[in-house]
Amino acid sequence: MSTMFPSRREMLARCGVGMGLLGLAPLLAEAGADNSNPLLPKLPHFPAKVKRVIHIFANGGPSQIDTFDPKPALLKYAGKALPVGNLATERRTGAAFPSPFKFQKYGKSGIEVSEIFAHTAKHIDDICVIRSMHADVPNHEPSFLLMNTGESRLVRPSMGSWVTYGLGTENQNLPAYVTMCPGGMPLMESQNWQSAFLPGIFQGTYVDTRHSDPEKLLENIRNKSLSGPAQRKQLDLLNALNRMHQTARDPDPRLESRIASFELAYRMQAEATDAFDTRKETKATLEAYGPGEQARSLLTARRLVERGVRFVQVSHAPVQPWDSHDDIEINHRRLAKEIDQPISALITDLKRLGLFDSTLIIWGGEFGRTPVVELPQPGSNAGKVNGRDHNHWGFTVWLAGGGVKGGTVVGATDEFGFKAVENKVHVHDLHATILHLLGFDHEKFTYRYAGRDFRLTDVHGRVVKEILA
Amino acid sequence: MRLIYATILAFVGGSVIAAEPTNEQIEFFEKKIRPIFVDNCVKCHGAKKQEAGLRLDTAAGLKKGTDTGPVVVAGDPAKSLLVKSVRREGEYAMPPSKALPPAAVAALTEWVKIGAPFPADSVQTGDAATLGKSHWAFQPVRDPAVPKSKLVADTANPIDQFLAAKWDQHGLTPSPPTDARTLIRRVSLDLTGLPPTADEADAFANDKSPNAYERLVDRLLASPQYGERWGRHWLDLARYSDTKGYVFTEDINYPYAYTFREYVIRSLNEDKPYDTFLKEQLAADRMNLGDDKRPLAALGFLTVGRRFSNNPHDIIDDRIDLVTRGLMGITVACARCHDHKFDPIPTADYYSLYGVFASSVEPKDLPIIGDVLRTPEFIAFEAELKKKQDLAAEFATKMYETALAPFRTSENIARYLLATKELSTLPNTNADKFAAERKMNPTIFDRWRKFLTEAKKRNDPIFVPWFVASEVPEKDIAAKLATLPKTVHPYLLTMLSDSQPKTLADVAAIYGELLAESLEPLAGKPDPARAALANVLIGTDAPTNPLPAEADKVVVIATKKIFRGLRNDADKFRSNSPYSPPRAMVMNDAPQPTEPVVFLRGNPNNRGVKIPRQMPAAVGVRKPFVSGSGRLELATSIASADNPLTARVFVNRVWMHHFGQGLVRSTSNFGLRGELPSHPELLDYLAKRFVGEGWSIKTLHRRILTSQAYRQSSRVLPDAAARDPENIWLARMNRTRTDFEIMRDGFLFASGALDTKVVGGKSVNLFTEPFAKRRAVYGFVDRQNLPGTFRVFDFASPEQHSPQRFQTTVPQQSLFLMNSPFAMSQAAAVAARPEVAQAKTPEAKVTAIYRIILGRNPTSTEWATVQPFATEEAMPANAYGVWAQLAQVLLLSNEFAFVD
Repeated sequence: MSTMFPSRREMLARCGVGMGLLGLAPLLAEAGADNSNPLLPKLPHFPAKVKRVIHIFANGGPSQIDTFDPKPALLKYAGKALPVGNLATERRTGAAFPSPFKFQKYGKSGIEVSEIFAHTAKHIDDICVIRSMHADVPNHEPSFLLMNTGESRLVRPSMGSWVTYGLGTENQNLPAYVTMCPGGMPLMESQNWQSAFLPGIFQGTYVDTRHSDPEKLLENIRNKSLSGPAQRKQLDLLNALNRMHQTARDPDPRLESRIASFELAYRMQAEATDAFDTRKETKATLEAYGPGEQARSLLTARRLVERGVRFVQVSHAPVQPWDSHDDIEINHRRLAKEIDQPISALITDLKRLGLFDSTLIIWGGEFGRTPVVELPQPGSNAGKVNGRDHNHWGFTVWLAGGGVKGGTVVGATDEFGFKAVENKVHVHDLHATILHLLGFDHEKFTYRYAGRDFRLTDVHGRVVKEILA
Repeated sequence: MRLIYATILAFVGGSVIAAEPTNEQIEFFEKKIRPIFVDNCVKCHGAKKQEAGLRLDTAAGLKKGTDTGPVVVAGDPAKSLLVKSVRREGEYAMPPSKALPPAAVAALTEWVKIGAPFPADSVQTGDAATLGKSHWAFQPVRDPAVPKSKLVADTANPIDQFLAAKWDQHGLTPSPPTDARTLIRRVSLDLTGLPPTADEADAFANDKSPNAYERLVDRLLASPQYGERWGRHWLDLARYSDTKGYVFTEDINYPYAYTFREYVIRSLNEDKPYDTFLKEQLAADRMNLGDDKRPLAALGFLTVGRRFSNNPHDIIDDRIDLVTRGLMGITVACARCHDHKFDPIPTADYYSLYGVFASSVEPKDLPIIGDVLRTPEFIAFEAELKKKQDLAAEFATKMYETALAPFRTSENIARYLLATKELSTLPNTNADKFAAERKMNPTIFDRWRKFLTEAKKRNDPIFVPWFVASEVPEKDIAAKLATLPKTVHPYLLTMLSDSQPKTLADVAAIYGELLAESLEPLAGKPDPARAALANVLIGTDAPTNPLPAEADKVVVIATKKIFRGLRNDADKFRSNSPYSPPRAMVMNDAPQPTEPVVFLRGNPNNRGVKIPRQMPAAVGVRKPFVSGSGRLELATSIASADNPLTARVFVNRVWMHHFGQGLVRSTSNFGLRGELPSHPELLDYLAKRFVGEGWSIKTLHRRILTSQAYRQSSRVLPDAAARDPENIWLARMNRTRTDFEIMRDGFLFASGALDTKVVGGKSVNLFTEPFAKRRAVYGFVDRQNLPGTFRVFDFASPEQHSPQRFQTTVPQQSLFLMNSPFAMSQAAAVAARPEVAQAKTPEAKVTAIYRIILGRNPTSTEWATVQPFATEEAMPANAYGVWAQLAQVLLLSNEFAFVD
C-alpha cells in the first residue's frame, strides 16, 4: 500500500464520488505529491462563504419556549391542561407551564428573545432563528448522536469529521477539528466527535477547557526533559540522517512527508501552545467574554478559527447540563448566564477580526423541552414540579455568520411551542443546510465504505433555502 | 459510477419503458420516484398483490400497466392515468386513503415528462442467481495451468510464473533480489512484528547455505510471536474490543474478550486449518470439541462487537456485516433496507442471515474454560464475589418486594379489577393512557388484563365468580352468584354467600380482601386453598409479580441506581480480579429458532414475507437451515471448499499483508463494485492449493514468502515507475510503513523491556505509566473512548470489521515520538543498556545504539554525521543525556519506520 488509501486510483474513485475532482486533482497533479496527509486544504463542490464552523452545543436540551420561541398563549392555560393534549415524551407531563422569563423584541428585525439571552439578542439581526427544528425520539443518547453524526444508533462519522474530511484544514500546525468541554465529556463521550469509518485523523481532538494552561490541554505538546535548543539539535540530526536514507533510495513522497511531519510538529509545539493560551488576550477582550469556563471555551474557539482550525465544537459542560427536569427557572437562568455574554463577545470579536462572514456559528441542543410541566417521579426530578421534559417534536436552533440570513425566523412551532408545524426542519435538513453553507451538495458528499456511499444526511435532508442569505 | 451503471445495463439488458435511461435519469428515479412507489403503491401494486393487474416495482410491470392498458404515456403526463390518479383527477384517486404530498405528485409528473425512465429489472427484482453466474467472484474456484515465461525458470515458484506472465504482457522485468539484511528485517517484521537483532542479521547475512532463507521462514513461523502478529490482523477483521460501547448503566467492559484473543493467537500458532478456525468462530458451541473446551472462546468473534445500547437489530446487523464482508467479501449489510443496488443480494438474503443470529442467544453466565486451580487466592476471590453478588441479589429482592407491595393491598386489587371491567366497556381506548389517567400503574394494569384473559380461558376456579358477576347487569349479580358451581374456590364461595354482594364493586372488594389476606403470615399447617389465592399475587404469572425487566418499570429510579451500583460493583470486581477464571464469550442456539421475516425498508415494525434461514443465493447452494439456529450450517457452508469466496478472500488478505496490497485491492468487497483481481489465475491457483492442502495458513505463507517476487528489491527503477506507477504487476517489492504495533513494540524491543515470554493473557493498559511491557496486541481497546495514540497512529477502528489500516502521516504522530513519556523513557532505556553504557568511546557507544535500534553498524558517513552531535562540547546540557537523545533520533528515523 503506497499511500493512506489502498491506491491513488481507488482514492480518486472514492473521493471522486465524494468530493469532486475539483478539490483534489490540482493537489495530486503536483509532481510527486504525497497524499498521505489527508488534512491538506481542499475545495468543496462549489464556492462558499463559510470556511470554518463553531458549534456551540447546548447539550442536554435547552427549552425553546424559555429562550428563542416565546409562547404567550401558555399563560392562558397556566396550571391547566392544554386543550390539545400533551404529546408523548420521555416522561409523564402535566399542565401548561408558561415561561418564567420575560421576552422582548430586539434589533431591526424585532425578533423576540428571552431575557436570559439578552446579550446574544443584541446580535439578533445577524442571527437566523430556526424555530421548527425536530428530531426523532425524546431520549438524550440517540438525539446526541443524531445531532452530531446524523444517525441515532449506528456508528457514523461526526459532522466535524465530515467537514474536515471534505475541506482539510488551513493550519497544519493545529488539529483540524477540536472539541471542547470543561471538566469532562458530554454524554456519549467521544462518539459525538468520532470519525467512525473515516481515517482516525478526522476525529475531533478533545480538549478539557477546565484547564487554562495549554500544556495540560494538548497531549505531548511539550517535551518535559529537553529544552528547545536541545530538541532543535536533535531534529537537525534526525533530518540529516533521514536525508541520507532518502538519497540512498528512489524518490518516495512518503519518506519526504514523514521528514516534513517532524518539522510541522516542531512548529506545532509553539503554535498550538500559543493558540490555546487565552491568557495572551487583552484585558478588554477577556472582560468582554467575562469569567468562567464557557467564556474561556468560546474565546479559545475564536483563537482557533482565527488560526485556521476548520471545526470547533464547544459543549457546555459534562454529560447533559441543559437537562432541566426541575428548577428550570434557576437552572436555565444560570446556564444561559454562563454562555450568553461569551456568545455575544464571540460574535463581536469575529466581526472585529473580519472573520464573521466566513465563519458559521451554530447554537442549539439535541432537542428542546416541553411547554408543559414534568410530573414528579422519585429520583428523576427531585419530586419537584417546576421543570420540563425532553421534547423532540419541536425546538430551536440558531445559525449566524457567513451565508446565513440574519434577523430571520424560519419555521414555527404550534401555538404552545410543543411541535414544529410550519416549514419543519429536521436535523438532517439542518445538516444538509450546514454542508450547503460550506459548499457541499450533501447528496454528493459521500464516502465509499463497505460497499455503500455514505452521507452525513444518509438518505434524507433538504437544504432550507429560507436560512440562506 | 457511470461505468458501473453502464456495465450492469449492458449485461442484463432487460426491458425499459422508453429508450435506455441515462445515468441521471436512473438517479432521479432511484432518489425521487422509487421511494414514492415503495412507500405508497407497491403494497397493492407490487410483488405480492397486483390490484387491477398493475405492479410498479418492475420495469415490465410499468410497461404493461393495468389489465386494461398502460398507465403511463411517456412524455405526456396529462394523458397518463398514473398522473391523473395521483392528482385525484381521473376515475381513480390514488393512493385511495390519502393524497400524496404535492412534492411527490410534482416528481411523478416530472418523471413522466422525461419519459418515465425505469431501470432495467436487474438487481432489484431479477433472478439474483442469474446475475451471480456472470460475476467472476461467484464462479467456482478454478485450477488454472501455470503459465510459462522467459523471465523465470519453469521450475520457479508458480507464483513467480504467474507474475511473470503479466510482466511479459506489460514489458516489465522483475527487480533483483534484495540484500540479506533488508530481507531478514522484512520477513521478520512481516511474520512476527519484531525486528531481527543485529546478531541475527549478521548471522543471516553470513549464512551462505542454499536453504538459509527457508530455514529463517520456518523459524519465524514456529515462533509464538507469529501468532501475536497475525492474530492482530485477524482481530482487526473481528473488530476486537475490550468494551461494549455505550450501554446506559451496565458495566461497559467485556472482561473475557481476551479469551477470544488468546484463542486466535493459539490457533494461528498451531496452524489450525482455516476451515476449522472459521467453523469454531461461528459455531463452536455446536461442534464436538472433546475435552478441551477452550475453542468455545472462538465465539467471541461474533460477540465482541459493539452493543448499540443493546438494540438487538443493530447487534445482529454488525454480525451479519462481520461474517459476510469479513469472511466472504460481500457487502450484505447493504441489503438491510433495500435489495443490494449492485450485487445479487436481495433483502431476503439479509433476513435469512438475520434469522440465524436472531435464533442465537448469549447466556448470562459464560462457561469457564480451562482448568481452574483452587488456590487459596482463588477461593478467597470466589467468596468475595459471592458476597457481592448476594448483596446485589438480596437488595433486588427487597427492592421489588417494596415496589410491588402497594399493588397487593385489598384496595388496589379491587381497584385494578374494576378498572379492567371499565376499560372493556370503552372501545378504542388506549389502555396505558386509561391507566395513567386513573393514577394506576400501566404495567401492572396490563398484567391484570392479560392474567384475567388467561384465567377466563381456563375457567379459573378463583375467578369464575368475577366473570359471572361482571358479565351481567348489576341487578342480576346477587341472583347469578347464588348458583355458582361447586368447582369455585371454597373460600370465595363462603365469602360470597356470607356477604351477599349487590354490586360489582362489592365483588371486587371481596376479591381484594380475600387475596390480600392470603399473604398475611399464618401459623399452623400449610393450607393449599389459601396458597392458591396467594398465588394470584405472587405466583410466576401473577399480575403483581412481574419479572425484573418489567418490575423495573415499577421501581423508583433512585432505588434502581443503588441496585445498579451493587450489581456493577460485583461485575467489576469479577472483571478486575486477576483470579477470575477465563470464560468464553459464547453464543448458543435459542431453544426455539426464529422464523425470520423481511423487515421492509429495515423497519422491524414493517413486516414482510417469511423467509427461511439459509445462505445468500449468490454464494451457496440454497437449502433452508434445519438444525437449531442454523449457525453450524452457515459455518459449514462458509468454510467449504465449494464456497467460491471464502478461500479467495482469505488468500487475498494474506497476500495483502505480505505485499502491502491485495491481488484484489478491495479486500472486503469482491462484489460487482469491488476491484477486479489483477491476477485472477494466481488468486485461484493460491485458493485452490490452500483448500487442497488442508487449509494450512502456514503452508500458504511459505508458498508466498519463498517466491522470488517477495524477495525482490523495493527500489523503484525509473522505467518501471513509468510503466507501472502503482506497482500493480509487482515487478518490485513495495516499501511499507510500519503500523502502530510494530512502532510501539519496536521501542520496547530496543529498550530491552519487551516481554515476549508469556503468550496470551488479559488486556493491559498501554498508555499509562509505568508502561506495560507486554506486546501491543495485548493492549486494552476501549471502543467507546479509543485512546488518542491509537487514533493518531491509524489503529484499526474497533467499531466495525476493518480490512486494512489507513496510513497517514500527521504531526501528531511526530509529537508522540518526540515528546511522549513513553518514547522518551524507552530511548533513555536504550542508552542505559549495558552494551551502550559500558562502551568506552563515543564511537563504540554510537555503534551499540545503531546495532540495538537499526540492527546494523553505522556507515562511516553516518558516523561522521553523528560524531559532532555525540561529542560536541557545546551541546545544551540536560539530564536526559546525549545518548538517550541519539537513541531517540534513531527510533524516530525513517529507516526505523519503513520496511524496504
